[in-house]
Amino acid sequence: MPIKMWLHDMNPSMKFIVVIVSMLTLAWFFNPWTPFLFFIGIILFQAVFSQLNWRLWGLLMIPIAFTAIGYLWTTIVFAADTSGEILFSWNGWTVTDQQWETSLSLAFRVFAFSAMSFMFALTTDPVKFVMSLMQQLRLSPKLAYGVMVGYQFLPVVKEEFTQIRHSHRLRGIGAEKQKWKRIVGIKRLVIPLLSSAVRRAERAAFAMEARGFTGEKREVFYEPISLNIRDGLLSVLLLILLIGCCLAGWRLS
Amino acid sequence: MSNSIIDFNEVSFRFPEDLTPIFTGVSFSIDAGERIVLFGPSGCGKSTLLHLMNRLYPSNCDGILDGSITLFHKDAVSFKPGEINQKIATVFQDPESQFCMPTVEQEMAFTLENFGHISRLEMESRITNTLSTLGLTHLRKATIQTLSGGMKQRVATACALLMEPEVLLLDEPLAHLDPLTARQYVEWLNELQVSKSMTIVVVEHRLDLWGTFFTRAIHVSGSFLTEDNPVSSAVAFPKRSSSMEEEVIFEAHQISISINNQRLLQNISMQLHRGEIAVLAGPNGCGKSTFLKTICGIYNKSEGSINCVGHLPGYVPQSPEHLFVTQRVSDEIRFSNHSSNEQISDIMERLLLDEIQDAHPFSVSHGQKRRVVIGAMLADQRPVLLLDEPTSGQDESALLELFYLLDLQAKEGISILIVTHDMSFAKAIADTIYLMKDGELTGRFDTYHFWNQTALLSDHQLVAPVGDYSYAY
Repeated sequence: MPIKMWLHDMNPSMKFIVVIVSMLTLAWFFNPWTPFLFFIGIILFQAVFSQLNWRLWGLLMIPIAFTAIGYLWTTIVFAADTSGEILFSWNGWTVTDQQWETSLSLAFRVFAFSAMSFMFALTTDPVKFVMSLMQQLRLSPKLAYGVMVGYQFLPVVKEEFTQIRHSHRLRGIGAEKQKWKRIVGIKRLVIPLLSSAVRRAERAAFAMEARGFTGEKREVFYEPISLNIRDGLLSVLLLILLIGCCLAGWRLS
Repeated sequence: MSNSIIDFNEVSFRFPEDLTPIFTGVSFSIDAGERIVLFGPSGCGKSTLLHLMNRLYPSNCDGILDGSITLFHKDAVSFKPGEINQKIATVFQDPESQFCMPTVEQEMAFTLENFGHISRLEMESRITNTLSTLGLTHLRKATIQTLSGGMKQRVATACALLMEPEVLLLDEPLAHLDPLTARQYVEWLNELQVSKSMTIVVVEHRLDLWGTFFTRAIHVSGSFLTEDNPVSSAVAFPKRSSSMEEEVIFEAHQISISINNQRLLQNISMQLHRGEIAVLAGPNGCGKSTFLKTICGIYNKSEGSINCVGHLPGYVPQSPEHLFVTQRVSDEIRFSNHSSNEQISDIMERLLLDEIQDAHPFSVSHGQKRRVVIGAMLADQRPVLLLDEPTSGQDESALLELFYLLDLQAKEGISILIVTHDMSFAKAIADTIYLMKDGELTGRFDTYHFWNQTALLSDHQLVAPVGDYSYAY
């Protein structure tokens, strides 16, 4: 397997656990360096081990960047803790080094968390993820296949949504000039969508049960999701990165 | 010991929310190798019977069951959950909602995994064998969502046959297929039954597409009579005299439409006279619905012109509830506010909507929903009605109701354009037939000179109505 495919091929449950552990750990660090270094680390990690669509990644990062700047700005302006040395002041606003550090830390945290989420989302096949949750983490098959059915329904529901919108257009709904009227009109779309979704869900449940699905834990899987040394290696590398960033942040601040 | 594998003895069944049982004292038995059809109108309880055979009922609906059901000489109650489904497999009517996995192979594996004791190697060989006996090997890695309705039904059948069941139950398997696809499916099923010698039980409200497939019919409504070798007969529609007048009230001229740089319709011209009923037919995906949506103003046309007396045509979608925007039937009719009070009460009366005027539009029956939509369109002062697949999945009485309803509207001077695959309905009601293929109109025919052109029909995925099939030459 080419090294560029490793992250895509990694066991989804393992990847999921590593991402959750990293997030929970990062939450305890309030210096700007730890999230910053981790953010850079994750980008490098993806560059080495995955075939990332950087264009898409960049686009996804745009709203994140806005959020981060928003955090930075509001934390500087409305900080509760105004102790520490004054870095600069302007028109009666003062910014202390404490304030500046917390703000930067929050902003980079947004970046680090998003980079990690995108790493997971962009390299994981949702079907494999659910199957892996069932196989490795003992998620109940009832829930797992419930999610799968929902996933299969998405395109059907989208198609139906379009159909209903078309029909409503005929009655002069959805073509209103005012934005707020259109938003209020969404309520009208939801009822027919829900009513058909409920019917469809019942049919799907019957079809599954008629094929012997009882929701019991299963013994044999046709497509077992493997857990191998490479998964361990990637997890260890990510954890080393995490610990390294924590230590570095602690030393640098 | 008798050869029977399914025995119903004095069975009564009642849903917990109903006061009266859906059927009482039902007794019949089915022998191995038979081809049975449970026949009757919608809502007569035939699907319930089917669900009693595969043990989905009574446990899934808390229904109240009296009498005894014996499956394979054992009391049905004694089977563990999922156990009977290895012997009795089921295919349902809606091809869209009986799958839970993305690809055909994974879907089949899902069935095998359910039974818990099959090794991976065995799964592999069973999937390979089933697919090759059914001639579906090329679909193994296919994504189910991308398949046509007919193929989805075959995949669903393949999933059912994986367990090598002794009985195959089918719940209106043709309801969502066009006639030619349906006929091909029946032929395919026929070969399958011959080679596997299974028992097949089908729930169906129309027999005309099944030909001589069945060895026995059980009439579910009323008396539970059985009939050997049932012959399919088309729905008997009354004779209709045309109400077409000279005046042209709708004209589409050289309509073309492109959406996202894709040419969907090419130079379509059509005229409708006052009181005319026209049918538009053609294969799935050829642009029939797109055309309807274009001439009623949902889509914007790219080229061409539409001349219409008064308002644009009104559109009745296949699921009428898509058009509902209010909480009461009478508000639904009044919604657009284009008609006076007298006109509205006249419409309500003509369409028999008075009795349900305070009901929620979602809670009335399918036929009533359609009447509400038609009422709303008439109250919008729309002189032409466009109906998208109103016949799909309808039983005989629903078709007759639709027939009378449309005939009455035409007599009132409304023009009607119907998209349908049901050629016996088309034959009974249409003054004119338009054929469409690949986004172009391929011809306009009046009903007298149309039905014997078998090649032309099958070229458009259509099947001539059964009654005339034999003496059309």
